Amino acid sequence: MSQVFHDIEKKILETLQKVPNQTPEQLSTNTELSIDQVRRGIEWLRLKDLAIVDESQKVTFSLGPNGLDSLKSGLPERKLINMIKDEPKTFDQIRSVLSGAGFNVAIANAKKNGWIKIEKNNSESLVSIKEKPIETPEEKLLSFIGEKTISQEQISNPLAMKILLSRPNYIIETSEKTKTISLTDAALSLDTSASSSGAIDVEADVPSVFAARTHPLQDTIDEIREIFVNLGFSEILGNMTQSSFWNFDALFTPQDHPARELQDTFYLENLESKNPATSSQIKNVSSSHNKNWKYDWKLSESQKMVLRTHTTCVTIKHLAEQKPENARIFSLGRVFRNEKVSYKHLVEFNQIEGIVIGNNTTLRDLMGIQKEFYKKLGLTKIKFWPTFFPYTEPSLQTMVYNEKLGKWIELFGMGIFRPEVTKPLGIDKPVLAWGGGIERIAMLKYELDDVREFYNNNLSWLRSA
Amino acid sequence: MPVVELNINRIRKLVSGNVTRKQILDALPFLGLDIESEEGDEIRIEYSPNRPDYSTDYGIATGLQGLLGIKKGIQKTPIKKKGNYSIKVDSTVTKIRPYVTGIVASNGKLDDVAIKQLMNMQEDLHDGIGRKRKKSSIGLHDADKISFPLTYTTVSRDHKFIPLNGSTEQTINEILVNTEVGQNYGSVIENAKNVPIIFDSDQNTISFPPIINSGLTTVTSNTKNILIEVTSIDKEAAEDMLSVVVSILQTAGFEFNELKITGNKNSTPQLKEKIMIYDPKFTSEIIGIEMSPSNMVTCLKKCRLDALVKGKKITCIIPRYRFDIFSPMDLTEEIALGYGIANIEPKLSPSTTIGQKNDVTIKTKLISQTAVGLGFLEAMNSSLTSKKVLYEMTKRDSSQIISVLDSKSQEHTILRDSLLPSLLDNLSKNIHESYPQKLFETGVVFSKGKPIDESINLAIIIAYKDTSYSEIKAIMQSLLRTNFKINSETKTSKNNELFSKGRHADIFVNEKKVGEIGEIDSNILENFRIRTSVVGFEIKLSGLIFD
Repeated sequence: MSQVFHDIEKKILETLQKVPNQTPEQLSTNTELSIDQVRRGIEWLRLKDLAIVDESQKVTFSLGPNGLDSLKSGLPERKLINMIKDEPKTFDQIRSVLSGAGFNVAIANAKKNGWIKIEKNNSESLVSIKEKPIETPEEKLLSFIGEKTISQEQISNPLAMKILLSRPNYIIETSEKTKTISLTDAALSLDTSASSSGAIDVEADVPSVFAARTHPLQDTIDEIREIFVNLGFSEILGNMTQSSFWNFDALFTPQDHPARELQDTFYLENLESKNPATSSQIKNVSSSHNKNWKYDWKLSESQKMVLRTHTTCVTIKHLAEQKPENARIFSLGRVFRNEKVSYKHLVEFNQIEGIVIGNNTTLRDLMGIQKEFYKKLGLTKIKFWPTFFPYTEPSLQTMVYNEKLGKWIELFGMGIFRPEVTKPLGIDKPVLAWGGGIERIAMLKYELDDVREFYNNNLSWLRSA
Repeated sequence: MPVVELNINRIRKLVSGNVTRKQILDALPFLGLDIESEEGDEIRIEYSPNRPDYSTDYGIATGLQGLLGIKKGIQKTPIKKKGNYSIKVDSTVTKIRPYVTGIVASNGKLDDVAIKQLMNMQEDLHDGIGRKRKKSSIGLHDADKISFPLTYTTVSRDHKFIPLNGSTEQTINEILVNTEVGQNYGSVIENAKNVPIIFDSDQNTISFPPIINSGLTTVTSNTKNILIEVTSIDKEAAEDMLSVVVSILQTAGFEFNELKITGNKNSTPQLKEKIMIYDPKFTSEIIGIEMSPSNMVTCLKKCRLDALVKGKKITCIIPRYRFDIFSPMDLTEEIALGYGIANIEPKLSPSTTIGQKNDVTIKTKLISQTAVGLGFLEAMNSSLTSKKVLYEMTKRDSSQIISVLDSKSQEHTILRDSLLPSLLDNLSKNIHESYPQKLFETGVVFSKGKPIDESINLAIIIAYKDTSYSEIKAIMQSLLRTNFKINSETKTSKNNELFSKGRHADIFVNEKKVGEIGEIDSNILENFRIRTSVVGFEIKLSGLIFD
């Protein structure tokens, strides 16, 4: 059975069959493979018992600063000899040239070599030549190394090296690990040309591919929808374009209220709804406004078409039309505000709103549903604060503790529809309402601090989020 | 929501009773006030527009005293009737701004901080219940600079006086043109020949409502007696406004003297409390806690209302400035606040209904799943887009354009009638990313109808150099076949500038056109700076897979 080799393996085998014992670096040069490829190839061959990797310690020597200095002007003991070769010198005279440690070293070594004698004369010591100072093995080694780097094997006099190594800064000793690759006997006789190619480099880098996926914001929307459904709420849909009647009047927002102005709400140019509601709905809503807000309610204002500012218009219309006795309903979708777009504001965002009518419609129940909703989102540290919404009373907001930000943040709002909202539409029972923006929750989930990111459709983000 | 800046030490002093900084910071949210920021002793607080009395530290301190149990119940407002303060209303104001009301606050003192807060409160009242001064507007004057009685009448536009912060006499017309308030609020009096004015008995101009006061009566930290006048087109709104200022000045230590008002339909303000008698059972049923009537009375008093139990009912006395209280439901909220929202235990009752998603949602999701399965990434774009992307760059027919009025953002002015233009815009913003790029979007599109029809569309786009009409047609047919078993055909269609000539078609299902498909024209791609081939289609899902 012929063996299967990758091209990398083949090249290494062929090169080593010609020249055995090569380092990975040499192999890289000779095979024209990258050093990483060579390393992987060697590893594969080793695992197949075709290559042997010899790791050895290689020690080399070169001259240090003192060694290089001595190469030029001699070892300190040689310098001393040169000074006294014509006439003896006193210690003081020698010190004036060979200062500091150099003096002691020179005297000690010259004495050890038997080159000098020292005579005490009065208070002075006089140094003179005793014997002909022939070249020492250390000096020979110094000039042998010169400015080269030599290996251990090249040293003929290990004792001289030992002596030099003991003197500070004469010799630099370096040791490094090297690998030498050789082939096993089996590999040496392999005919690689006969082996079939077809194996691949399974460890090499490959180009990235991206999963097709739904939009991260859509995933959050779906997750929240799922929670509402699990809590027993059924989904209703409604238009994004609404008459002012359902967006404002039916929700007890007086016609001169600042929220209804062009600068907060998108009105549709030249479009109005001729019959926004039934005549009895119009009659009852208008008289509730006239009575409570004490102004002259106008049908024409309620006919103006707007982009809904909340999904509440959808739920209230459903209640007014269906008058359910007992129901949990929710509406989810885009809502609009005429705002300057910024990192925290969009003109269009997603809102969900749920309502409960029938049994168990106390403020405590409303708070209980919130608590359960946040629990399903994995948020357990919550509290409630009073707040104000024009069409609910009492009104609360949920504060949720965010561990990452280390602070309480405001999420969904809730309340009980005001009787001024429900009575004129023929709804007699209390209606709980709760909801809020979805982007806010998605921002926490995806750790975004710019809400615009959701609608930029930046592929690198969509592909990696 | 409006914001007010306050000093916490000032509030502590006003609340008194050795209240700590922490007690105040902890209690503020339970009055419905959000702490927006906190820097040293200065805090910024967001308050609700239904509680204009919370626009000053006097109002907030009154609320805190109640909640912390330091002072409970109503602060009574005695009005002395003996002073010689009066205002006569001339019938000429009837057509332009028929009502005036007011009061004289005496023997008090305001420091600079308090004056600044009052001025800010005045502006919030103007913008809120005053409806940008149109409905009602307020003026505060140094009463000692005024000779009573006053006259509320009209003058012609060449009448001259020195306005607040002015140095020379100016005519009405000049004031309307030269001053900031004149420019901002001049429209309230429209083109009336004669405008409202208040004179004193020396014929000095006191105020030109609703635009500006006279410089003569400027309130400073030396002012001891203050005239408050409110003019309006709605008698009730005028008294609402007056009552808020009175409640604040009362906390600041002022006493009150009646301002007699005579003239057509006008009358002297009574600032009378409202009495509401109601069944406490209602509150228990709404909050979900069995609470005794006497306990409820305590809660109401903590909210600075008065109440007493009479038989099985509670009689509640509501001060004039709490005109946000309409019905027993509002009293229920007050009781909940007095009880403490933090003391109400949430309760989870099992649902008696089974939740379900809407059919449209379910089927749209099926389409998304198939698109993802076919290798498409979901995009989400705004329904409100720009004329440039929707019509100009794509050379589409804009005769049925639906615009919004006065958008603050150039990029969001038109309701989309198609999804493909935004997807092309997405490709254009991702030309540096790797290809192939494959996107889909499902979403609402708008068209003129009765008055507007909304339907859900699906659009798909593919961009890379080797893409082709066949590829996109195969994708389109697969999308409709999977789950929905819909067979579709493509038929040659008349030229459409979005697509390349001869390389686009109409999509038909059961002999009915449901969409368009083709290769995007190179001129359009150039407009979007896309340098590769792009194919796409868009179909209307409404009417096809759901109604």
